[in-house]
Amino acid sequence: MSAPEIFQLSLGPLTGIAFSPDRSQVCVCPNSNEAQIYTRNGDSWDLTDTLAEHDKLITAIAWGPNTNRIVTCSQDRNAYVWTQTEQGWKPALVILKINRAATSVKWSPHENKFAVGSGSRIIAICHFDEENNWWTAKQIKKPLRSTVLSLDWHPNNYLLAAGTADGKTYVYSGYIKGLEAKPEATIWGDRLPTGQLLAEFRSPNGGWIHDVSFSPSGDALAFVAHDSSLSIIYASGPNEPPAAHIVVKLPALPFTNLTWTSESSIVAAGHDCQPILFTGSQSGWAISHSLDDPSSTSKPLTPSATGLRSGGGVGRLGNNEAFNMFKAADSKGQRGLAPSGATPSSAGLTPVGPDGLLLTVHQNTITHVEAYEWNQSGEVSKIFTAGRDGRLVLWPVTGGKGLAGRMAGLQV
Amino acid sequence: MSEYAFRKINIDALEEDVLLPSDLYDPDPRGPDGVLGDAQRKAGEVRNLVSRGDIPGALNAILSEPPYGDGVDEAKDLTTTSLLLILNSTRASEIPTILKSLGQEQQDHLMAYIYKGMAAIGQGSDVSGSVLLNWHAQLTEVAGVGCIVRVMTDRRTL
Amino acid sequence: MSNTLRPYLNAVRATLTAALTLENFSSQVVERHNKPEVEVATSPEVLLKPLIVSRNESERVLIEPSVNSIRLSISIKQADEIEKILCHKFTRFMMMRAEGFVILRRKPLPGYDISFLITNFHSESMLKHKLVDFIIQFMEDVDKEISEMKLSLNARARIVAESYLSTFA
Repeated sequence: MSAPEIFQLSLGPLTGIAFSPDRSQVCVCPNSNEAQIYTRNGDSWDLTDTLAEHDKLITAIAWGPNTNRIVTCSQDRNAYVWTQTEQGWKPALVILKINRAATSVKWSPHENKFAVGSGSRIIAICHFDEENNWWTAKQIKKPLRSTVLSLDWHPNNYLLAAGTADGKTYVYSGYIKGLEAKPEATIWGDRLPTGQLLAEFRSPNGGWIHDVSFSPSGDALAFVAHDSSLSIIYASGPNEPPAAHIVVKLPALPFTNLTWTSESSIVAAGHDCQPILFTGSQSGWAISHSLDDPSSTSKPLTPSATGLRSGGGVGRLGNNEAFNMFKAADSKGQRGLAPSGATPSSAGLTPVGPDGLLLTVHQNTITHVEAYEWNQSGEVSKIFTAGRDGRLVLWPVTGGKGLAGRMAGLQV
Repeated sequence: MSEYAFRKINIDALEEDVLLPSDLYDPDPRGPDGVLGDAQRKAGEVRNLVSRGDIPGALNAILSEPPYGDGVDEAKDLTTTSLLLILNSTRASEIPTILKSLGQEQQDHLMAYIYKGMAAIGQGSDVSGSVLLNWHAQLTEVAGVGCIVRVMTDRRTL
Repeated sequence: MSNTLRPYLNAVRATLTAALTLENFSSQVVERHNKPEVEVATSPEVLLKPLIVSRNESERVLIEPSVNSIRLSISIKQADEIEKILCHKFTRFMMMRAEGFVILRRKPLPGYDISFLITNFHSESMLKHKLVDFIIQFMEDVDKEISEMKLSLNARARIVAESYLSTFA
């Protein structure tokens, strides 16, 4: 196993990211209204295309692995489907009929439709209207009462999970009549007209739902909420309470994203700046280890890493950055917040190195975690993460079970 | 001026599916009277346990199913007072052991009460800041900042 | 420095670290706007519970978190009239130059002496742990600065009084 591959794609946050089907290209949004397509060139990425049609921040990007279409959505309330032609990428407007920001977008597994979550308390399920030659939307409104922050499709192409800012996770039917065959009954529900609510869950201690995800089989649903928790729900059957509702509460900061790497393991990452591997089953889940361990030994998250200064750090160190800065601003008119030459005076949640940077690979919140590569047995062997620090990192996912798996992940 | 009064009406609040703060949590199933009864019973229990020196037992009792939500102010005050009594009568050297014996749910509740106690300093509260800050530091050490995040996100105000 | 300053600052640091978990959040009330939710306070679900960390009656910090911004207000120790005046002048001086200090709010919250407003745009462009360090450093040094000003003010008053009275000697 190799060390993670790190690429600095931007200096600011990456607000959306999606890989091309063959992983040779990546579409990212560098915290602006334009999406950029980079092509891999050995150890670096070259900018090849810019998708400029939105006029406000792009919030999410999805790239269909089979149809090679990109869909972008933005805070300007629009979404565009981009198709590759000989003259470059061509946009097609989607009739979303929403009046607030679009927040997230996901292609369905068969890629005949996609879902867009929005701040106008609507989920739009969009499909291509042959007659008019545009993308049109069917809306799910009830019982949404707050911004939809995240979406995920069930592998059967019909069910849709959504997480909202008021701390609810919903499972809907995303079936569209006339577009596809009538769905079979599933473990989540048997009657599936469009927009039918099948299940509803609340985050354990309040806090918005950052991300939802169905397991590869679709029988379990996981979500991460702002109360530093990871919840996993195992469905039992239509109209029945779930077989198991497991909540893992963490001593660390909240996660913002998660992805299933197999039926029994999840990688989640967020404000803690490091991806954490969880393993478990219907009987319980627990932290296995961090994929990015500063001390490069696989130790679990210790609650002692709490953001307190170690030793006698708090006292006056003679390093009065703040006042030097205020004085400089006062007497010399110098401005700017970044104090230079800072001593390592504190540990955030993640340890800080002598250069004042975090010891983790990501220097700021990780906002995306997704599968990058699968092995023969269909389990994820590599994931990618992208964060507010503008970095894209490819991580090998080690087994996590047993010492051998962990040893393989050690970076020597 | 009266014809302009309508301009000050918050029309968003009249919308049919407006989200109210009370929709963000489930009310206590025990009802206000049940909660008050429980709180009174526990306050007595705690006084007994503290006088016998059983601090972990007292803390465990008071932090299980604490009163929350609207309309139970009396029960809340009672619980807060008994909890601060426990915190005040604990020796500093015993704190880490006691904290480790608590469950995660109880640690979250304790953190919420510590913040509540700190907010009340200077408003007729008899607990000193240094005691609460010491508890806060020790609890953060044991339960992590995730515990503080949960205090912020939890709508069930203690 | 008294013994309770360190636990006080540690508590503020832990609370601030927990609160600085911000994300970009477009307003769900006003179309195409993106504003600090803690200031507009129109959507109850994205506002979190405000927390107070206090050391004693006069020194406390209020942290109000929300989905895309936090407001941190500090109440500075003022033992007597002179400290009150110095503190007022000092915070006023900085708040009048708030845009130079990026995260400083132009007006403190009622009951507090100085307020900071940190939004997701700040936490995106600056290192989060450095922002926390900055606030803590500020809190450490503001007391010292005010005591120093008070000392020099007293010293100057003494010199003025001496030189004035010496003419009568």
